[in-house]
Amino acid sequence: MPTIELIGVTKTFNEGKVLAVDDITLKINDGDYVFLLGPTGCGKTTTLRMIAGLEEPTNGKVFIDGKDVKGIPPEDRDMGFIFQHFEIFDHLTVWENVTFGLEMRGYDDDYIVQQAEKALTTVDLLEYVDEYPSIFGNPGLQKLGIARAIATGAKILIMDEPLGSLDPKVSNVFRHELRNLIKDLGLTAIHVTHNQEEAMAIADQIIIMRAGKILQMGTPYDLYESPNSIFVANFLGETNFLQGFVLKLLEDAKMEMWIRLGGPRITCNNINLQFDLDDNIVIAFRFEDVYLFPEDYGFEKSVYDWSGVQFFKASLEDSRFVGATKRFYLFLDNGDKFLSIKPGSYEENFVPGETLIIGIHIDDIHVFKAPSDMLYETSLS
Amino acid sequence: MVKIDLKNVSKSYGKFIALKNISLQVKDKEYFIILGPTGGGKTTLLKIISGLVKPDDGEVLFDDIDVTRMTPGERNIGFMFENYALFPHMNLVDNISYSGRVNARNPEMTKKLVEQVLMMTLLTGRNEALPEELSGGMKQRVALCRSLLNLEQTKLLILDEPLKALDAGLRMNLRRELLLMAKSKQLELTVVHVTNEEEEAMMVADRIAVINQGELVQVGTPHDIYYYPKDLFVANFMSEINYFDGICIREESPKWDIYKMSGQKDNFYTQIHEESSPILIDLNTGDQFAAYIKNDVSNEYNHGDKILLVVRANHMKIRLGNRLNQKKNSFFGKIIRRKFMGVFYRFEVLIGINNQEKTVVVTIPATSEVHNKFKENLEVTIYFPKELGIVFKHPGNKVVNEVIKLE
Repeated sequence: MPTIELIGVTKTFNEGKVLAVDDITLKINDGDYVFLLGPTGCGKTTTLRMIAGLEEPTNGKVFIDGKDVKGIPPEDRDMGFIFQHFEIFDHLTVWENVTFGLEMRGYDDDYIVQQAEKALTTVDLLEYVDEYPSIFGNPGLQKLGIARAIATGAKILIMDEPLGSLDPKVSNVFRHELRNLIKDLGLTAIHVTHNQEEAMAIADQIIIMRAGKILQMGTPYDLYESPNSIFVANFLGETNFLQGFVLKLLEDAKMEMWIRLGGPRITCNNINLQFDLDDNIVIAFRFEDVYLFPEDYGFEKSVYDWSGVQFFKASLEDSRFVGATKRFYLFLDNGDKFLSIKPGSYEENFVPGETLIIGIHIDDIHVFKAPSDMLYETSLS
Repeated sequence: MVKIDLKNVSKSYGKFIALKNISLQVKDKEYFIILGPTGGGKTTLLKIISGLVKPDDGEVLFDDIDVTRMTPGERNIGFMFENYALFPHMNLVDNISYSGRVNARNPEMTKKLVEQVLMMTLLTGRNEALPEELSGGMKQRVALCRSLLNLEQTKLLILDEPLKALDAGLRMNLRRELLLMAKSKQLELTVVHVTNEEEEAMMVADRIAVINQGELVQVGTPHDIYYYPKDLFVANFMSEINYFDGICIREESPKWDIYKMSGQKDNFYTQIHEESSPILIDLNTGDQFAAYIKNDVSNEYNHGDKILLVVRANHMKIRLGNRLNQKKNSFFGKIIRRKFMGVFYRFEVLIGINNQEKTVVVTIPATSEVHNKFKENLEVTIYFPKELGIVFKHPGNKVVNEVIKLE
C-alpha cells in the first residue's frame, strides 16, 4: 500500500543560493491521483524529483510506505516514470522498448512476456509490437511511454508534464484515458503540470505550489470552491476581482464593502471576523457565479429564493458566443470591469450599453486582504 | 483598408504537400482566425499571405492588387511571431522603433507613434527596460507594439500563435485586449491570426477558417462552425462530442412530433427551425431518433444511407431513472464516472446500444445544484434536443477512428 510522505523537505541549489523547495510537508494516500501544480519555477519538478530519488533533499525526510528512502536510488523505489518528451528508444521496436527495463531488472522471461503483453493491451498497442516507434505520432509515443512505465508492475507512477507535448485537442481526450487507466490499475500517481485545466479535469488531489512553498492542497472541488488566497482563486478557473474597503460591520459575521471609487456596496461574509472597518479588501467571484437580469426583471413575481443574493447594477460592454459558453463583458460606474459566463444557448438579448442587474450569492463571494501593490502585477503572476 | 484574396493557392515542400488549392477571402477590418491542429498548414498559409513563402501555384491579392511576387517589406504588414523575436540588447523603445528607424522615417513622427502604442498597450513608464526584465505578458505586448508601428499605409496585422507561451489567466485577458485593439476606432485593423486552440478562435474571431492536412475544411462564423460543422473533424475540434452510427429513414412516417420545438420557444431554436429541417434516424435501438439538418443539404440524404449522428457532450441532458417512454432521443444507462471540472461536471454514462456497450460523455454546469443528484453507479436517462443533433454522411470507420481516437 504505497503512501508517500514528505516532512519538512527543503532543497537548495548552488550552495544554498537558490531555494527551490522551502520546508514542505505533505502526504499522498494510496491510490490517489495527485497533481503538483504551479507556474514555472515554483518548485514542483524539484519536489517530484526528490520523491523519485533523482535529487536528495537538502533537509527533511521522504517516506514511501512509511519507510525513509534516503539513499535509495530511483530504480529501487518501485516507481514507473513518464516524461514529457517520451524518452522512447527509436532503434528498438515497441516490444523491445517495453521489455528493456524489465530485462535490465533481471526478471525471468515468462514474467517479462506476461507484463509486457498486459501493459501493451492496456494502452491498445499490442498489434504494433514488431513496429518501430517512428510510425507513431506524439499520442502513440506517449501511450508507449505509459506501457513501459506500467509494465514494471510499479505501484507508483511519476509523471512530469506527460501531456505537455500533445496538441491541446489531443491532450483533452488523452487525459481522460490516462486517468481511467490509472484508476483501473489502482496506481498511486503524481503528475506535474503548469496547466490548471488539466489538473482540474483529472486530479483527485491538487497541490498548488508557488515560490517553493505549498499554497494549498485539496480536491479540485475544495480548491475551486474555497481558495485560500488571491493567487489560488486566480490560478484555478476564471475569476473576477474587485477592490474596495470595509464600510460597515454587520451581524452574523457579515460586513458591507464599498467597491473603490464609488462603486456599489456589497454585503459579504466576514468569516472568523478577520476584517475590520476600513480594511482594504479584494473580493473574488467566479465568472459563472454572476447572474444577469434585465433592469425591469420582476423579482417580486419570481418563484426563486433570492435570500443571500447580492444585487447591484452594471452596464454591458458586449457579449461573445464561445461555443459551449457565452461570455458577457460588464463594467461598473467606476470603470471596473468583470465578466459573466452562461451556457452557449443562453437566451437573453441584452444589447451593449444596456444597464443590467447583477446577482451574486453571498457564499460565492470570496474575500481577501488587499495586496499593498497593484493587484495584477504582484499577486496574480 | 485591406482585404485579402487567396486564389487556388498550393504549396509543397518536396513530396510533402503543405497546402492544397486554397481559396479564401478575408474582408476589410475583419478579425480572421486560421484554426487547425499542428502540422495542418496554418503557418504556411500565414507565411504566404505575408510574403515569407512563395506559393507554387495560385495568387495572393491585397485590395485586388496581385502581391504574389512582392517581398514582405513591400506588402507593409505588421507581423508578430510566436516567440516574439525581440532584440535582447535593446530597450523597450528601441525594440519598438527599430524598424521605424531603419526605414528612415521622420524621427519626431516615430517618437509620437511609439508613445501612442505604448499607451494603448499599457506599457508606458517602462521605456528603458530590457526584454529580460519584462514578464512574458509584457514581452508579448512589446512585440505587438512593434508590429503595430509598421502599420502606416496598410492596416493588416499577422499573428502567429501570439498567446501560446503565456499563462492561462494572462492569455484570457490578452485575447480580449487584442480584439478590442483591432476593433478600436484609431486602428480598425484587418487581422489574420493563427491558433490551434478552438476556444481562442471562438473568443476573438469574426470568422474562422478550419484547416486540416493542407485543406480548407470550413470557413464560417463561430456560430456556424459550432452548430453546423461541415464534417466530423470540425465537430470534434470544437468540443468534446459523442457519435453514433445510424441509418437515415426517409420512407417511414415519424412516430413522434419531430416538428415541434424542443423546450421553450426562444430565438435560438426558432432560427434552427427556419434554417433546417428534421431527419429521422435509426440507431438500431427500436426507437426513431431525430436531428435537424440544414435545408440546403437536406435532400442529399436518402432512405437507407449510412449516417453518423454527433451530439456534443454539453448538449446531452441527464435525468435519474428510466425515462425512455417520456423522453425522445434518449438512452438508458449507468453513470460510471463523475468528475468535477470547475465550470462543469463531466459524466461518463455507459449505455447499451446495438448489443454493445458504449460510453457517452455528458457535461452539465456546476452552478446549478442538480449535479449533486447524479452519483456514480446510478441509473440515468440521457437525451438530447433534436435541434442540437448533428448529422453527417458516414465517413467510414477508418476516418472516425482517425479523427476521434487520434490514431
